[in-house]
Amino acid sequence: MTDAAEGAKRPLIEGAASRRPTGLLLVAIPVFLVGWLVIWPIINAIGRTLWRPDASGTMGFDLSSYVFFFSDQYSINNLTITLWTTLMCAILLLVICLPIALYLRFSHGRLPAYVQALAIFPMFVPSIILAYAFIRVLGPNGMVDILLNSVGLPKIRTPYLTPWGPVIGLVWDNIPLTVLILLSGLGNVANHAIEAARDVGANRLQVFWHIILPRISNSLLVAISFAVLGIFSSFTLPYLLGPAAPEMMGPFMNRTFREVNDPLNAITQAVITFGFCIAFGLFYVRSVARNQGQ
Amino acid sequence: MKRRDFMISAAGGVAGLALLPRMSFAAEGVIDWYTSSDSNILDFWTNTVKPAFEAANPGVSINLVDAGDGAGIIAIGERAIAAKQQGADPQADFFESGDALLPSGAIEAGVYANIAEAGLTNYSKVNPLAIQSDYSLPYRGSQVLLAYDSTKLSAADAPKNWDELVAWIKANPGQFVYNRPDKGGSGGNFVRRAIHQANGLDPAAFTVDNYTEEFGNEALGKAWAILSDIAPSLYDGGAYSSGNTQSIQLLAQGVVTMAPVWSDQVLQAIDQGVLPAETGLVQLQDLALAGGFTRSIVIENGVNRDAALKLADFILSEEIQSAILTELGGFPGVSWDYVSAELRERFADIVPLTIPTFPGGAWDGAINDGWYRNVAPNVDRNA
Repeated sequence: MTDAAEGAKRPLIEGAASRRPTGLLLVAIPVFLVGWLVIWPIINAIGRTLWRPDASGTMGFDLSSYVFFFSDQYSINNLTITLWTTLMCAILLLVICLPIALYLRFSHGRLPAYVQALAIFPMFVPSIILAYAFIRVLGPNGMVDILLNSVGLPKIRTPYLTPWGPVIGLVWDNIPLTVLILLSGLGNVANHAIEAARDVGANRLQVFWHIILPRISNSLLVAISFAVLGIFSSFTLPYLLGPAAPEMMGPFMNRTFREVNDPLNAITQAVITFGFCIAFGLFYVRSVARNQGQ
Repeated sequence: MKRRDFMISAAGGVAGLALLPRMSFAAEGVIDWYTSSDSNILDFWTNTVKPAFEAANPGVSINLVDAGDGAGIIAIGERAIAAKQQGADPQADFFESGDALLPSGAIEAGVYANIAEAGLTNYSKVNPLAIQSDYSLPYRGSQVLLAYDSTKLSAADAPKNWDELVAWIKANPGQFVYNRPDKGGSGGNFVRRAIHQANGLDPAAFTVDNYTEEFGNEALGKAWAILSDIAPSLYDGGAYSSGNTQSIQLLAQGVVTMAPVWSDQVLQAIDQGVLPAETGLVQLQDLALAGGFTRSIVIENGVNRDAALKLADFILSEEIQSAILTELGGFPGVSWDYVSAELRERFADIVPLTIPTFPGGAWDGAINDGWYRNVAPNVDRNA
């Protein structure tokens, strides 16, 4: 940032008071939209689930819908499967994306360009298409089964309609964002730092552990919190690929609202989901704030 | 471009966008038509009904709009109520599929036309079993059937009643799948058939307003026991597909041998080669799986009310009702007596003698919630 500001003919950040209204105006629209479409509904939802009329019609403080959620084994199971799916996806994303990002950062030539294109590809595939492709490939009697069968091997135990279905779909869907964020973080790792470490005899693992990892810990956190936020409240893939029960919070909320006609419990589920997401979001905000402070 | 010019043109653009929706008025002679049905219905209207109607009525055309889902139709109904109150134009004339009771108060507000008293020449042909309200017109129906792979199960051995079906499912574990009851009517009506089975095969026992928690728990609880009993013998030891199409896909991939399907969807799937020609269809003879009619609504305060009523009359004509059978694979909204004998013969398989239906209202929520809580999770699939 500082380099760019010094290099520019005109400072990128101007102190002149005359510019300030334009800047504020530009921020005002997104801030207003976030306030109107995000913050207000959240406050409204929390208010509506906590402060509502009881049986006799008098308004009052009422925690019963939350008590019901946390005492209802079915709801707890849904929350648990959501946390499990999110955790599994986060672990798998790290295991898959970190090596890809490292490879892309430290190699040159034509092949890495193809690998990168391939890694970014899922970004351009709508998740509904992905879900149907998944069913055709990994589903029962799908392409994998046909290939295995043609060489005389037994069929796979298909992940379709099991908790692993959404995990595989969501991981594939989130690879591009994770790779891109990790790659940008790896840009912070200077080549000379690695060369210096190699000169004093560090092996690959030591370089990774002592030089690279500390520098990208922030990116790791950002990548994981982004992925986790999206996965926790995902809808399409768990809906199409997951089991009927337990279901993830996204389909569960939608079903409670539309199919069971129970807005109160749907909003309660939404507030609880939001509570978990805000915890993940705080990781992200803290990491960004720490980054800005440097 | 200078910044000021940019700001001015941007502001102009924004103002233009804000004005745009206000500037579209419903045109005289163009029927604004909305549907919440699947794309096969929209295709049917685009390719069959619209050209035929426009040819028969020069000067009138239909503007076909997909409203998305039931909630989309209700929103347009609410807009019509608001327009009525302000004496404005609702910009809607015809709902292909709707419930006259929704949005609540639409009939009282005078937004929906009374079709029974509108003097339609074909109204007397409508199947009396299907009429639910004077304000909606049942013009097509479809029913849930069992589709099976006739290479694995001969037509002679196909189950003809519920007990045979259960016996077959248990004797052939993993070969039957039905979808989650809230995600599509084929599984939904299979579940409702189980509810009928558990309650003396009497569809009249359930009405739109007789749901009470006590009766619901008792009536539905017996059905959950039946469904939980067959769950371990279903596909993958108790997995449920997430929609009508996914059930057909599992059948098409040869994963299961039998699944409940909508009559219109399965006939189209066979026609398009999604399902092989060897797909067999069978209806339970002790009590058919439930089905339903799609009901059209005419907007009373629409600019083209009279043309829309003409359209309502037109879709009851023999031409369109026959096309519903031959092209859509649905069954007609008119009584079977008004369908040509040749077609009656050809579609004998799906001609329902009775059309059991299951009421909506509070029952829907109770079934959707109860099934997920009591049937879906019962099986430990890792065991």
